[in-house]
Amino acid sequence: MKKIYTAYLLAAVGIGLLAVGVYFIKTIDDLQGLLAVLPYLSVGIGCVIFGHGMGEIVLQHASNRDPAAAKDLEIEKKDERNIAISNRAKAKSYDMMIFLISALLFAVAIMGIDLLLLLLFAFTYFFIIMYTTYYRYKYYKEM
Amino acid sequence: MNNRLEEIRKKHGIKQEELARALEVSRQTIGSLENGRYNPSILLAFKIARYFELNIEEIFIYEEEEKE
Repeated sequence: MKKIYTAYLLAAVGIGLLAVGVYFIKTIDDLQGLLAVLPYLSVGIGCVIFGHGMGEIVLQHASNRDPAAAKDLEIEKKDERNIAISNRAKAKSYDMMIFLISALLFAVAIMGIDLLLLLLFAFTYFFIIMYTTYYRYKYYKEM
Repeated sequence: MNNRLEEIRKKHGIKQEELARALEVSRQTIGSLENGRYNPSILLAFKIARYFELNIEEIFIYEEEEKE
């Protein structure tokens, strides 16, 4: 029951962010620099949150209507082979992502692109590496 | 690792779907286990053994790889 309330809350927050974003895009047109990006960012994040919330609401209602199908869905979700397949695919895509981001970083660096954008790419790359290192260390201690 | 899951399941007259539902895994997992394409976790191996009231070694056969 708590899950559905959270989903409704998420959908409402999403709609709110979307509305605020659209309002600022329509009314203010002389924003400069990073501030000009904020309304669009608000629309983007609002859409994602709204979509996630609505998805959860639909799923919860469908589960209530057909408990057998909901049970099957839960089994599929928790199935160890499905989880192993998903984890293996994620590991492969992580390796590819690291390779592609480093190639992209090198390419944009030699293209002489805006320093801010270059730093943004470099920070994203660094963040992903640090995130991996943190979890590697955490799991190393756990297992 | 080999296993006798298919043989044991058929001996008990159980369908893959029924076994999957009892063990709370997907039917595809049972199929993959029987074909030897997937090795179960130790937890699932225990669940299978308990379901058939057998020891793990009676269902799953560990064969050491021959070194050349």
